[in-house]
Amino acid sequence: MSKSNKARGKDKAFAVWGISCTMIGLILLAIFVGNIVYDGITRIDWSFLTSLPSRKPEKAGSYTAMMGTVWILVCTAITAFPIGVAAAIYLEEYAKKSRLANLLEINISNLAGVPSIIYGLLGLEVFVRIMDLGASVLAGSFTLALLILPIIIVATRESIRAVPSSIKEASLAMGATKWQTIWNQTLPASFGGILTGVIIALSRAVGETAPLIVIGALAYVPFAPETPMDEFSVLPIQIFNWASRPQHGFAQNAAAAIIILLVITFVMNGIAVYFRNRWQKKMKW
Amino acid sequence: MAKEDEMVVAEVVNKIQESMITLVEDVVEAKETKLEASNIEVFYGHFQAIKNIQMKMPSNSVTAFIGPSGCGKSTFLRLFNRMNDYVDGFSMKGEIKLNGEKIYRNKINVEELRKEVGMVFQKPNPFPKSIFENVAYGLKIQGIKDKKLIAARVETALKQADLWEEVKDDLKKSALALSGGQQQRLCIARTLAVEPSVILMDEPTSALDPISTAKIEELIFQLKEKYTIVIVTHNMQQASRISDYTAFFYMGELIEHGKTKEIFTNPKHERTENYISGRFG
Amino acid sequence: MTHLDAELDQLRQAIHEMMVLAHSQLEKSKRAFLSFDKDLAQEIIHYEKRMNSMELSIDRDCENLFALFQPVASDLRFVISMMKINSGLERIGDYADGIADYVVDLKKSIDPEAIKVVNLGEMFDITLSMLTDIDVAIDNKDTSLARIVYKKDAELNEINANASNIIRDIMVKDTDQIRPLMFLFSTVRKLERVGDHIKNMAEELIFYTEAEVLKHKGKLSTSKQKG
Repeated sequence: MSKSNKARGKDKAFAVWGISCTMIGLILLAIFVGNIVYDGITRIDWSFLTSLPSRKPEKAGSYTAMMGTVWILVCTAITAFPIGVAAAIYLEEYAKKSRLANLLEINISNLAGVPSIIYGLLGLEVFVRIMDLGASVLAGSFTLALLILPIIIVATRESIRAVPSSIKEASLAMGATKWQTIWNQTLPASFGGILTGVIIALSRAVGETAPLIVIGALAYVPFAPETPMDEFSVLPIQIFNWASRPQHGFAQNAAAAIIILLVITFVMNGIAVYFRNRWQKKMKW
Repeated sequence: MAKEDEMVVAEVVNKIQESMITLVEDVVEAKETKLEASNIEVFYGHFQAIKNIQMKMPSNSVTAFIGPSGCGKSTFLRLFNRMNDYVDGFSMKGEIKLNGEKIYRNKINVEELRKEVGMVFQKPNPFPKSIFENVAYGLKIQGIKDKKLIAARVETALKQADLWEEVKDDLKKSALALSGGQQQRLCIARTLAVEPSVILMDEPTSALDPISTAKIEELIFQLKEKYTIVIVTHNMQQASRISDYTAFFYMGELIEHGKTKEIFTNPKHERTENYISGRFG
Repeated sequence: MTHLDAELDQLRQAIHEMMVLAHSQLEKSKRAFLSFDKDLAQEIIHYEKRMNSMELSIDRDCENLFALFQPVASDLRFVISMMKINSGLERIGDYADGIADYVVDLKKSIDPEAIKVVNLGEMFDITLSMLTDIDVAIDNKDTSLARIVYKKDAELNEINANASNIIRDIMVKDTDQIRPLMFLFSTVRKLERVGDHIKNMAEELIFYTEAEVLKHKGKLSTSKQKG
């Protein structure tokens, strides 16, 4: 076999290997989703979506968990977004390049990899106990905000770095102050990237179970939250709870709730992709 | 008139003709000094980028900085609007004066300086916004809110930059949709909208095709009636075509500075001659 | 109009002014010689300085054009031809000046009969009209007019060729007149040279417009002798 034939052979072999791996992953995912959908889709109806939890599976609904998820999502976003973006701007534009700054950068990336239950414990001590917020939506969203803050900071810094320095130079050369440049040029130009990062971070938060359990979010909450100080539950916790019950009805409920959670996650990611694409089209460097 | 008187008149006319040329040149010399540099030394960390330069540039003229890569001409240019301040390790000694006032002093308002001294860069860098917003940016950051005033200034600037006819029908179009030459003229318009008195240009046409380059050179030639222009260029023919004065830099030193006509017909230093005739660099 | 075009225009204007001056010098030298007007001759000598300084100034303008604009193609040919026309005009001025010198030098006028027989008046008229024509031709880039001018030189050559015999005959009969007659002959030669220079200008115009070189080709020339 000639050398070029051998090389071509390797090429093809790798292509086949790559495709098979991808297909295995996709097929497994398809099987899982298909299974869930098959199990749970019939259960989804208006009453399921608007009913409160109950000991009887046919009466139990996902309303409180869904509302809780929405509340947590909104409050986490409101908390994490400004702090994360502001921190990123400060670190990227104002902090002097020094050893300390580098150290900070590494550690922030590390924080993104810390197991989420650690955040739960931190939240329990600081927000629930010390700040006396109890097991409220506020405590839960502060905890999750801390969790996703590193993701937002990193994504924002990357987006800001992606803005060509020639734009910043041009703005400064026209007599703009550093802040004017950031506000008028850097942020608008990096906004798509920041938004994408925030949405991805939030869609992670949506699926978090462990930290919320630690701070005390309950599975049996017979009401939807009305204020940020109220107690709450979220879909993952509800799913966990239903899945651990013996009755078959609850297994079906769990499947249905999983479908809802998946839909929320896919929609959020879809929005992120949409915005990212729109932003990329606008910024043809 | 008697013949003798006619002769005398002719004699006088002769003398006047001869001295007319020198007179015009002297008037040019007497123009006020717009920019002045004294005892300038520039360091990046320990590396000395500029070694002891003195230079005066008169108003309403075009001065070209020429020299091989890395000779310090861009660094020197950026002293005049303090854009070197953002480079790590930059430090300088000496004085730079604009209209007779020092610009490297403690209480200086750098933003005000940059409104008076505008800059156009090598690669066109329009903001990722509409054409209108690009030109209006300088006014916006000054806090000007009067919409009519802004619209008028935008139109004037685009006309001055010879771009108005090409874009007037759709000012909301994205600036990034323009061609390279148009983008560079947009960058010039954006600088003009702020009504500076000095325009610094750092190789403004080196990224452009010959036709765009020619358009911008004509533009520079027209602009010098109202503005003082300093242009760094790698292209010596460009320097000879459009500048009144030329300064030749080499390894951080100013080798020769004088009227472009003289530099390109009879330079005083051999190194200058070798450089402009392409024998080195 | 671009910057370069403006400069080229200025050059053309300067050459035109020099042509006007050369024409005036030549015309004055005709009157001074034919009417033996010493005062007019002094005037010509005086204005010669102006012609010289104009030549220097135009030379410098051309040098600057080359150095600063690096003209190519027809612009290059234009500047080159204007430079050559410039020195031709300066030589014409020199000749007018030389003729004026003769007038100043002579104690009494030359026998008008001799002047008439030699056809000097016609020579003056031909050269003056050639000069006017070439100025117009340059303005309009009119190569057919240039070719007409080119051919007229032949007439001057013929007059010149005959002049030596005519004047020799007169000199033999009237040896008193040898000095003034030599001046006359010299003037004839000068005018013939003037014609040559204007003919060269016609060649330059054709070169500039058509990029065709007529020099040394012997094209369009009917006379073979220069006498």
